[in-house]
Amino acid sequence: MSSRAPESVPAGVARLGFTDPARANALLDDPALDGLAGTPDRIDAGGLAEALSRTADPDGALLGLVRVLESAAASGGVRGDLVDRLGRDATARRRLFAVLGASGALVDHLVAHPEHWRAATDAVPRDADDRRAALVAAVGDPGPVPPADALRVAYREQLLGIAALDLVADDASRVLPETAAALADLAAAALEAALVIARAEVGEAADTCRLAVVAMGKTGGRELNYVSDVDVIFVAEPADGVAENAALVVATDLATRLMRLCSASTPAGSLWQVDPALRPEGKNGPLVRTVASHRAYYERWAKTWEFQALLKARPVAGDAEVGAAYVDAVRPMVWQASARDNFVPDVQAMRRRVEDHIPKAEAERQIKLGPGGLRDVEFSVQLLQLVHGRADETLRSASTLEALEALSAGGYIGRDDAAVLEAAYRWLRALEHRVQLSRLRRTHLMPTSEQDLRRLGRALGLRRDPADSVQEQWRARRREVRRLHERIFYRPLLSAVARLSDQDVRLSPEAARARLSALGFRDPAGALRHLEALTSGVSRRAAIQRQLLPVMLQWFADEADPDTGLLAFRKISDELGATHWYLRLLRDEGSAAERLAHTLARSRYAGALLEQAPECVQFLADAEGMTPRPRAEVLRRMRSAAGRKDDPEAAVLAARTIRRSELFRVAVADLGGTITLPQLGAAMTDLTAALLETTLEVAHRAVCDRTGEEPLTALLVVGMGRLGGGEQGYGSDADVLFVHDPLPGADEQAAQHQAMEVVKLLIALLGRGGPDPRLDVDAGLRPEGKNGPLVRSLASYREYYARWSLVWEAQALLRATPVAGDPGVAERFTELVDSIRWPSGGLTPAQVREIRTLKARMESERLPRGADRKTHFKLGHGGLSDVEWVVQLLQLRWAHDRPELRTASTLGALEAAQRLGLVSDEHAAALAASWRLASTMRNASVLFRGKPSDAVPTYDRDADGVARILGLGTGGGQDLAEHYRRVARRARAAFEEEFYGA
Amino acid sequence: MDRQQEFVLRTIEERDIRFVRLWFTDVLGTLKSVAIAPAELEGAFAEGIGFDGSSIEGFVRVYESDMLAQPDPGTFQVLPWRGDTGGTARMFCDISTPDGSRSMADPRNVLQRALAKAADMGFTFYTHPEIEFYLLKPGWVPGTAPEPIDTSGYFDHTPHGSSADFRRAAITMLETMGISVEFSHHEAGPGQNEIDLRYADALSTADNVMTFRTVVKEVALEQGIYASFMPKVFAQHPGSGMHTHMSLFEGDTNAFHEPGAPYQLSKVGRQFIAGLLHHGAETAAVTNQWVNSYKRLWGGGEAPAHLTWGHNNRSALVRVPMYKPDKGQSTRVEVRSIDTACNPYLTYAVLLAAGLKGIEEGYELPQETEDDVWSLTDSERRAMGIRPLPASLSEAIEIMEDSELVAETLGEHVFDFFLRNKRAEWLDYRNQVTAFELERYLPSL
Repeated sequence: MSSRAPESVPAGVARLGFTDPARANALLDDPALDGLAGTPDRIDAGGLAEALSRTADPDGALLGLVRVLESAAASGGVRGDLVDRLGRDATARRRLFAVLGASGALVDHLVAHPEHWRAATDAVPRDADDRRAALVAAVGDPGPVPPADALRVAYREQLLGIAALDLVADDASRVLPETAAALADLAAAALEAALVIARAEVGEAADTCRLAVVAMGKTGGRELNYVSDVDVIFVAEPADGVAENAALVVATDLATRLMRLCSASTPAGSLWQVDPALRPEGKNGPLVRTVASHRAYYERWAKTWEFQALLKARPVAGDAEVGAAYVDAVRPMVWQASARDNFVPDVQAMRRRVEDHIPKAEAERQIKLGPGGLRDVEFSVQLLQLVHGRADETLRSASTLEALEALSAGGYIGRDDAAVLEAAYRWLRALEHRVQLSRLRRTHLMPTSEQDLRRLGRALGLRRDPADSVQEQWRARRREVRRLHERIFYRPLLSAVARLSDQDVRLSPEAARARLSALGFRDPAGALRHLEALTSGVSRRAAIQRQLLPVMLQWFADEADPDTGLLAFRKISDELGATHWYLRLLRDEGSAAERLAHTLARSRYAGALLEQAPECVQFLADAEGMTPRPRAEVLRRMRSAAGRKDDPEAAVLAARTIRRSELFRVAVADLGGTITLPQLGAAMTDLTAALLETTLEVAHRAVCDRTGEEPLTALLVVGMGRLGGGEQGYGSDADVLFVHDPLPGADEQAAQHQAMEVVKLLIALLGRGGPDPRLDVDAGLRPEGKNGPLVRSLASYREYYARWSLVWEAQALLRATPVAGDPGVAERFTELVDSIRWPSGGLTPAQVREIRTLKARMESERLPRGADRKTHFKLGHGGLSDVEWVVQLLQLRWAHDRPELRTASTLGALEAAQRLGLVSDEHAAALAASWRLASTMRNASVLFRGKPSDAVPTYDRDADGVARILGLGTGGGQDLAEHYRRVARRARAAFEEEFYGA
Repeated sequence: MDRQQEFVLRTIEERDIRFVRLWFTDVLGTLKSVAIAPAELEGAFAEGIGFDGSSIEGFVRVYESDMLAQPDPGTFQVLPWRGDTGGTARMFCDISTPDGSRSMADPRNVLQRALAKAADMGFTFYTHPEIEFYLLKPGWVPGTAPEPIDTSGYFDHTPHGSSADFRRAAITMLETMGISVEFSHHEAGPGQNEIDLRYADALSTADNVMTFRTVVKEVALEQGIYASFMPKVFAQHPGSGMHTHMSLFEGDTNAFHEPGAPYQLSKVGRQFIAGLLHHGAETAAVTNQWVNSYKRLWGGGEAPAHLTWGHNNRSALVRVPMYKPDKGQSTRVEVRSIDTACNPYLTYAVLLAAGLKGIEEGYELPQETEDDVWSLTDSERRAMGIRPLPASLSEAIEIMEDSELVAETLGEHVFDFFLRNKRAEWLDYRNQVTAFELERYLPSL
């Protein structure tokens, strides 16, 4: 038999959780503890050490106890009562020790005022009136200290009680609402007491105004932290018979004093900052306003976020009647906020602001602001209140937790989501409380030191590995909040149309429509129908859609046209729903679903392409899929697709099908901003050139097959205009010249006839409706225009240009670039036109005058009826034509001996001219900027509207869509036109000087 | 329906208003008015009143001419001259396009945008105009010289003078309409009078100027005389200006005030003046928008023709008035070029923008000019770096054409319309053969 040796005292102390057992042991021997810690029982169950060890920080609690008792001994009979009480009353002991272990700041207070120990041991819940009466009494009879100090001391005495009840609760998150409400009541009481002091300081004049203090933010919502700025708004009315101005001067004085009384550091410390920044006009506005002035401001000027802030307004101090009048005046407006004009864009902006405004360095430690922080919960809840509180009065609570419960009860948030969110919110708040309580500092950051983390974990009841567990739990809650924050807004929308789980109350169709409107959907009823179609049923497909849609709705809502996005998504899903890879791709491929949603809601053009070719969704899965393919690769695929068909029509359709998917690829790259304007122009030109090449081959073969002839001639397609310049956009025609050169020995008549047949067939094949947007082939720039033959032989061109060539033809040829057909003919044709477009010696003065006159005449004649000269992309002032004519005139005059100018690209030639000093830097910049902007806007118009547009869109919604594609942000409307007109005006000024000559 | 709108509807009922005039201003500063019956007002608040903008100077191009006038209930006033029962009231309107966005052509919107920019920088803009005008005998016949109603001079007290009666009647009417008058007196020219309005934010001031002109014309009509705001009626007498005192406030404090600085003028104040001077030539076409305006500017006397500033220097473009030691809040600058026939919305917008630009860019304030600029020789002025204002409307237009500041402030639409309209006015003027030419050339050539 062995008997266990009794545990040594130091070992026992260590086992109990003291981190410095030797020091603890020494402290336990301290004479200050006489009568409390009998040596033998110090490590026994129920003994002093064991009681201390239950606190968050046993070492700190022990040291605190010694200090408090020493101080008590020095102040008369205090120690006797305290020791006696602690010896016999376990509850009292638990409460006092819990405070000593959790808050160094409150230990310091007890050391300074040991007589306050009863505030902790005998703590009871107190109501707001009781708290107020106590603080007002304290400042009314401050004794030897200044009233501001008396306020601080009395405030902390009550704080002791709140902390004691909070800290001994089994579960800090369970008592959180009571704790937070008590803190708010205490803050309100302090404001009242401070006002009493301020009035006394001001003297009789104080009676000339009736000042009310309205709490906002967490104080207003009765959900305050231990230490936080107290947000307030001051409202005042003149007393009877006093002029308003005079009364407001006094009221401002009182308010200023009140703020200083609370925030100033005195020998007794400071309470907290009083923050009046939520008042009308913020920091620039007057500190105090009358009720009428507040109302006028909110009626006329207030922004949406200010109404969100008003949700929490609650009069807490000063003149109750004035406070009530204020709330009566502004409260109804809160619930009208969602009907305001800018509500939707404001809400979108607010959401972004919340997400953007986190200081990077602290983001990882932020309990309040970081992703998944408290602010996320509060923001979601308040937004839902604003949207639905208009129709449903049960939601009009100022407290986050109450509002959350009401939202859940009303079916506005899924019940499970609400429960998880509430638990996370309570836990995070409790965490924040414990962090702040330690030093009574206003902080929302997780501590970093091991010791602080350990104390924090223990304070939250985590006894095993407290430092690690608290961090782990914090991260888990954050993730949960983040996840729910993202779907809380969108998921219930599905519950309106599909049953998600049986316990859930369904969101009513009216509420769903209100929420969709708030998200920017213009046809909420239609959107609901699409959601229903996508999610109803028990299929696996519907189940996956129910997972996907909440988050996809958010992405749709980020864009200018969510309705179209959702509709297109529905069509594509109907088409592809059954294919095995489609939903898997969206669910599993990271950003594919996000890209799809943004693309569809941003661009009708891309949406329409995708509806025709849903399989292209696959491009979205990786970056490689969104890179435009080189011309050679596109051509190879078109050729092989066309080669598999015998019928020429079928062959060209096959090639055009490839063009369709490649157009989608380019559009997605463009929308995603991964390619520049020149790259876009090159990619679009590549597609056109490859299609022309393929079609030319198919047509030539078909003509030979039909007539039984051998090929008699070599054909060439020369790109003109934007096609020649490699600068095509979505809406561009293909401007071309057709050239042929009879093969050796062929009959010229027969060759001309064959070439004509081929060209006619080519134009017909491409002009037909097909899977891709039609490509209009326009040969209008050919010699003799519409009266001339569609195709000429090289010899005929040579003869024509030798005899007839006009300056405007030379100008058009500047951009001539062979794009399809026989390379030999291309070489010979190029050689022929070089001497015309870059005439040696440049232009004669008469020719320069001719070009200038032509342009001046065009300006007065060519603009279509009803078009606005200021905003027409092509022919308007400072538009594309102005820029191109400047460049082309320079090329005609100087390219013969400045080879750098010999390029078909407008921007390329402009840059070269600038380098050569032919155009001033300032003018070149103005011209290039306008050309780029007009081209980009024209492309963006096609992307957004699905059809080309000649001028800056004036219709608000189109303008907004175009502005977003341009990256100008939301609310572009008139700013877009303004922006364009400004850039074009500068280009016009440059044009007038450079082209017509100053 | 907000409370202000309710208040308007109630007042209309209580005061037995039969017509409501919706007022707005075209780009050239002419007051436009649409009358509606009270029954239509609720709809007007909700959706605006449609009108054809194509017939309003500078509003729209013909093919998209539908515009909406949305009354601003904060500007509701009963018009006193229509009699007290069964009367007429007016409200100023904001103009919008059918899709609900504010019209870029609405001068009120131009000023509101400039004020919003000031607000972004933390400023509110206050102005206080001194409006001069001539009272003439009615029934002027083209080809004859207009006749003033009296022959008094500056501050003269004219017994039984109809000027005094007139001013009393006009001021009473203005006060009835809630427009406070600070000061009024007989001006230097015969029949010339001045009435000063009280300090107010610039938008209210501009609204008040529009009302003021109407009231003055209306009262003159009642008294059988004719009132004119033409900048220069008589070659030999002073023209009519609208000197305007300006200040910026940051919250409740005057941003121009700095105790102990020269003239108590803060850095912000100095930079504001520097901005006004730097951009003075570009903004002239707006502040002095008529061919006739330049006859006043270059007519000598108290009209400033040079870009200078000074303390109590009445020949300077910008004057810093005497500082009253107990009134820190009253530190302000006075711009003296503006004439009474300007569009007050556009004028205040461009001047504010010029001043703000000075603050943004931190312009250095040139040296103060203490001399009477008129008495200096050309070489002296050149040596002192004193630049002139444009000599004519034509020159002003040319300078304004190159102004990014004015384009940005007016918005491209108004900028473009304004230039086109003014160019046309200049061409019309150039086509005239004037009395001067006939008198000088006909006898000898």
